[in-house]
Amino acid sequence: MEIAIKTEQLSRTFKSYQKPEGLLNSIKGFWNRQYTEKVALAPTSFEIEKGKIVGLVGGNGAGKTTLLKLLSGLIHPTSGTAQVLGFKPWERKPEFLRQMSILLGQKNQLWWDIAPLDSFAMLAEIYDLDKAKAKTKVSELAELLDCSHVLQTQLRRLSLGERMKMELIGSLLHEPKILFLDEPTIGLDIVAQTVIRKFIGDYVKEKGPTVILTSHYMDDIAKLSDQLFLISQGQFVYQGTVQGFVSKSQMQQKIHFALAEKLNQDLVLKSSHPEGISLKAGQQEFIISVDQENIPQLMTQITQLSGLSQLRIEEADFEEVIHQFMEAESRLRKTRHSN
Amino acid sequence: MKKYLRLYSAFFKASLIADLEYRANFLTRIATDIFWYLAQIVTFETIYRHTNLIGGWTVEQMRVFLGVLFVVDAFYMILFHDNLDRMSERVRKGELDLLLAKPVNSQFMLSCQRLGTAMIGNLLIGTSWLVWSLSQLPDFQVLNLFWLLVLIPSGLLVVYSCRFIFSSTAVIFTRSENLMYLWFQLYKLGMRPDSIYVPWLRILLLTILPMAFIVSIPARSLLFVPDYALFAWAIFWSLGLLYVSHLFWKFALKFYSSASS
Amino acid sequence: MCTALIEVTLWMAVFAAAKTELIGGFPKESYLAYAIWAAFMARISVSWMYEFRMIEEIDSGSINHLLVRPFTFFEYYLSQMMGYKLVTTLFSLIVPFAVSTAFDLPTDATKLPIVLLLVFYYLILVHILSLIVASIAFHLNRVHSMTVAKNLGLWLLSGELVPLDLIPSPYKETLLALPFCNAVYIPVGYITGRLGIEQVYAGFASITWSILIFGALSVVMWRWGIRKYVGTGA
Repeated sequence: MEIAIKTEQLSRTFKSYQKPEGLLNSIKGFWNRQYTEKVALAPTSFEIEKGKIVGLVGGNGAGKTTLLKLLSGLIHPTSGTAQVLGFKPWERKPEFLRQMSILLGQKNQLWWDIAPLDSFAMLAEIYDLDKAKAKTKVSELAELLDCSHVLQTQLRRLSLGERMKMELIGSLLHEPKILFLDEPTIGLDIVAQTVIRKFIGDYVKEKGPTVILTSHYMDDIAKLSDQLFLISQGQFVYQGTVQGFVSKSQMQQKIHFALAEKLNQDLVLKSSHPEGISLKAGQQEFIISVDQENIPQLMTQITQLSGLSQLRIEEADFEEVIHQFMEAESRLRKTRHSN
Repeated sequence: MKKYLRLYSAFFKASLIADLEYRANFLTRIATDIFWYLAQIVTFETIYRHTNLIGGWTVEQMRVFLGVLFVVDAFYMILFHDNLDRMSERVRKGELDLLLAKPVNSQFMLSCQRLGTAMIGNLLIGTSWLVWSLSQLPDFQVLNLFWLLVLIPSGLLVVYSCRFIFSSTAVIFTRSENLMYLWFQLYKLGMRPDSIYVPWLRILLLTILPMAFIVSIPARSLLFVPDYALFAWAIFWSLGLLYVSHLFWKFALKFYSSASS
Repeated sequence: MCTALIEVTLWMAVFAAAKTELIGGFPKESYLAYAIWAAFMARISVSWMYEFRMIEEIDSGSINHLLVRPFTFFEYYLSQMMGYKLVTTLFSLIVPFAVSTAFDLPTDATKLPIVLLLVFYYLILVHILSLIVASIAFHLNRVHSMTVAKNLGLWLLSGELVPLDLIPSPYKETLLALPFCNAVYIPVGYITGRLGIEQVYAGFASITWSILIFGALSVVMWRWGIRKYVGTGA
């Protein structure tokens, strides 16, 4: 397989000036500034195959946007190197920029005061596109996103979801081979989110660009990504598939079951835990959280209970897995720091 | 080059569409500049009622000076003002990121994207005033007008380059309002004939901070015996300043990409 | 301060070429003092920031939280602006005062209190005008340019550019009849010795009637705006 994006020990550190408290310290700080260094991205190496969608997940300030900015050439790395389509992104060669697109969910590239169609005409000039072809392209994309009716409306009058669709069209107009999508569904309602998600999925299937996608909505990541990068405080903590991540993580699954009658005496189910799982008398419905490895053993015991009327295992929820993973990760870091 | 011309005409079209959207704003902007022109005219007309010469210029010559000022200023307002005025805001909002990701020269994009098409009205007013003031001159040589073809662009380049350098500091410092204030004061120095200033300041305005290129030199080409050396110097140094602005932008970008988060 | 210096240079050039010692009956020093104090007064007697904020607030719809406060929109911003102006006046006063003392320019410091009172009274009128402009923001987008146009217009009428008595009749009389000369010409003219106290009193009077007229207009404009605002519920 061809490699589209490759990094070697890529890292980025920011220096920032800590504004001191109080007048006296401010005066001191005037000539003797205390800079603190913050690692936005620890040295990272990875490869992304052509045509893959990579979901980049991490909390606020984890380093997702920093990575995207590095790969799109907006900022220079502190150390290490990266190759995107064979270019060093931060050299910002026109041939590279022409094949790349970055969409920042919280920023507009289209003009606020004119209709999207007029903005697209400008983008067509910027990317040297054939006017007629660009027009067809716009109407195609707008058709897919179900927003042809607002192409002629001033951007400022559009809803957030419509604006995001317009931004998407704008960033796809030149058929980029590399697409960086930073929070493309941020702040949108469920309907708009679904439309955009489906659109991105279909688009990638058809045109096959390499995509890095960040999102706060785990659904986006779970449904779209071939690969998952998990990043926490500048460190890559997981690289692999979504499925692999779910099965690898210490996820407790939930078993729901109900009996025909109330339980008449306390009962203990055996598990790898020495105390087992106790069921209290007088209850009829039960939800027990169990580790994956215990499921077979427990299921055998539960199915042997008399009067079993319902039984189901709740699938591990991706969002919850990530959430727990992140929490555990940050707890780990805090203890590391305090030691 | 051809691409940039096409792109520029697309910018013009989009700007016109955007400007026409706000009719009240369109008209107020023209009105604002008329007030500003009036202020300049009233100041000098009033003073000339009490004296014959200011810095060696007669009232007729001063009217020509103001005419050139209005024309240069209108060009600046049409071509660059909206872009450079909003630059720090755009940097703060992170729009620079999106601009840098485009396969077009970023200085061009930042400086030329938005044209103030309403100001074309002011250009007409300014030009009319200039033509009228020239018609009042007893011994005006029409051929001298050709000087304006190079000297007005040279004046514009000076305003553009200096203002662009001042605006670029927004990339380096998060707050650059005070620097902007400094720029307006500098620009004001150019809004009076160079000969009213004390010698050292006049020399400064003809060399390192060539505010005198903006209006004084083009006006001189219409009013006095042409000083070829001075004109050549103005053309040379205004192009030099454009190059300096380019270097400064490269420096600012380097700073941006290694310091921004 | 730079503005004042450029004006000073202009007056020096004017007097250098003039054949007489006096222009409009006053010597060079009088004009230099005028230029320096005019730059100072002009900065006090104009409102940019608070007018922009008022417009911004109406534009963005964040005015809601002000509507429910006991303070009205007008008083809220008036008190903020007055506080801000008071502080900046006290600090920036030092500059023209130091310059005119150092160069022995005609300035009567004992006249300052009443003159500042006049300018602060004038600021109420300025604020009423701000409210009128801000009310337009209920109906139109991008009213900022109106602030620019209005302030430039007021600047033209204020007398910062030249002492208004140099302007020929009947323009001079017209400008003096308007309240806007109280921003610069009347206060600066009084402390630099061009004008007598009776013109300051006349200034208080002209501000008073203008406050009544523009105040009434602002009430109408504001109500009209609010009605539209509540009507659309935007």
